[in-house]
Amino acid sequence: MEESGKKKLGIALVVLAGIVYFFVFSIPLPKELVFSPTWSLKLSGPLALEAPAQQPAPADASARGQKGQADMAKAPSKPLVSAPFIKGDAAENSGLIPFNFGKLFGYFSRDGKLGFSQGLPYGLALSRSAYVAYDQTPESLVLKGPDGADRLKLNETGYPFYSGERLFMMRPGQNSVAELDSDGRPVWQREFPSIITAFASNPNLAVLGLMDGNLVGIGSKGEELIKFSPGGSRIPGIYGCAVSPDGELVAAISGLDQQRLIVLEKRTTAYRVTFHHWLSSDFRRPVSMAFTPDSRYLVYEEPDGFGIYSRASRSESHVSSWTVKRLGYSLPGRDILLVIEGQGGDRKAVLGASPQGRRMFTVPFNAADGFLAEEDSALFLGMAQNDGSSEIIRVDLREE
Amino acid sequence: MKSAQKELLFFAPYLVAASFLSAMSWPLDAPTPAATFGTFAQGRYLNGMELASEGVLVHPAEEGELVFAYDTSRDSAVLPSTIGSYAIVQHPRDMVGLYAELAAGSVSSAPVKLKTESVLGVAGQSGLTRGPGLFFGVYDRRAGRWVNPVLLLPPLADNSAPAIRSVQLTGAANRFKLGDSKILPQGTYTVSADVSDVLSAAWTRNNAAPYYIRLMIDGEKTAEFTYDVASVREGRLIISEKAPGNIEHYLEADGKLLLAKRFFSHGRSIIELVVRDYAGNESRMSWTLAVQ
Repeated sequence: MEESGKKKLGIALVVLAGIVYFFVFSIPLPKELVFSPTWSLKLSGPLALEAPAQQPAPADASARGQKGQADMAKAPSKPLVSAPFIKGDAAENSGLIPFNFGKLFGYFSRDGKLGFSQGLPYGLALSRSAYVAYDQTPESLVLKGPDGADRLKLNETGYPFYSGERLFMMRPGQNSVAELDSDGRPVWQREFPSIITAFASNPNLAVLGLMDGNLVGIGSKGEELIKFSPGGSRIPGIYGCAVSPDGELVAAISGLDQQRLIVLEKRTTAYRVTFHHWLSSDFRRPVSMAFTPDSRYLVYEEPDGFGIYSRASRSESHVSSWTVKRLGYSLPGRDILLVIEGQGGDRKAVLGASPQGRRMFTVPFNAADGFLAEEDSALFLGMAQNDGSSEIIRVDLREE
Repeated sequence: MKSAQKELLFFAPYLVAASFLSAMSWPLDAPTPAATFGTFAQGRYLNGMELASEGVLVHPAEEGELVFAYDTSRDSAVLPSTIGSYAIVQHPRDMVGLYAELAAGSVSSAPVKLKTESVLGVAGQSGLTRGPGLFFGVYDRRAGRWVNPVLLLPPLADNSAPAIRSVQLTGAANRFKLGDSKILPQGTYTVSADVSDVLSAAWTRNNAAPYYIRLMIDGEKTAEFTYDVASVREGRLIISEKAPGNIEHYLEADGKLLLAKRFFSHGRSIIELVVRDYAGNESRMSWTLAVQ
């Protein structure tokens, strides 16, 4: 009798524990992230352009976040609305988004109007406000606006490039760089003892990596703010570098045998090393790395995927993936990092990963080259085919 | 005799270095210099030499390890390269070889361990070069400076002496070209020279730098530059440890070398200029002036 009572009591306790657990410790299922294509803009050749195609019905083409996949390339893309090209002042004021993928570059607007599109030249410096397209041995360098109109001639020798909205000039010899002002005149210029192998900047700091293993930071007036040699490896060298948009962090991948990740943080008077991590990589070429727009995470290329450094936890994690084609994006307003991964041939995907290194979703597409831009809560996915045709799709995000 | 001894002493370190370091071999067959170390081109000194060639394989000058490979067809989106596609090789003795302006698509980041018969790429025309070929530079990691590759490589056949095109004296109000005038008003003048190595390549840079320049005025060595190393001083790459740091103090706008600034006093003055190229060919000219 007593034994039976104990048994009943045990069962009751188990049931009670189950009820408590259900109400207290249960975790609600996460909302699904829905990717809704809004419009597609076909760029059918270097100069033949079409108006955007509105796509009002996203449900059948949406990617179910964290659960499944959706082939964005299958989304219907018939043009429904004819949109005029954006010209003149309208181009400057409309917040055009620059693109550069496949064999084309140009500008488009958030609502799917094409501002300008042109075949890729030998070299291109591209920003939101201007661009310089140039030949291999340019006789002149002309800075143009998003409408394609000439703005000014750069009286410089070298190859221009934009980092954000700052215009720099890589001078002959690859060991000298200058920043140009809005009139095309050098704000500062520096010649370095050895070859420049890496570069990154934010509005106030330009960071250069050199073949001799030095990492140099130059302020907006040309003053030297950082001079640092990571060392620790058998062969010194800087293979990639990045600076956070808020200027608080600078990162570099340095050295060979063994390669390592170095993160410097801005202190009162100088940048100090706050994190370093030995890498399994053995890159002997430029390495891609970038901070997310909110400066919270650093994403860097690794041989079998990419690494993520978290500023808050000062730790790194790894995401296994196919070959990373482009990185440095984050899903607006969410702790999700995005890269474009190449899955062999023309198979590519937008891969979303958590900062902890978990693959969360992939959005596959078929293209020879892919491109991603983000603005507010919208993503813009560019897909270029081998025949020269290209398409940009706007993808809005929402939770369900 | 004393002057010759001094000269020998000056060159001794490089001769010793060359005897030890000549393990390097030319990185391509039939090397034909199109621009020499120290040539002033596109607003800067060349920190290596350009060899005119096209379509031939480029090999490491010495065994080593590939440490960096940049190919314009693959990497230009990351950072543009004005030296085109290039490979950087770690050689023995902390020497680093830069092999640049290679054909786009010919540079790979493998193999890593390199022998002199390994292939780094194909001589081509990438970056801001004037013609097809190879840019070859040698960087001394320990000293943090570039070394003239001819110091480390087997000598090239070259029978053409460098050219002394003109030497000019520029005063506050007038300019005299030596040879045209034998009379000089007393005063302070800068001495500038237009000299150039004579190269036989299919394409060349203008005013190829010689290897050595010496200016003597009245038997006194007034200026001496050896194009042996290049290092950065005050944010600018300069050639020769003895050269002024500021290019504007060393070069005129037209590329002539500013060798000295000197007061010429009443009497006779003898100016002598000696110029040698990388192969040891020498040109020597002297002028006698009556200073009034």
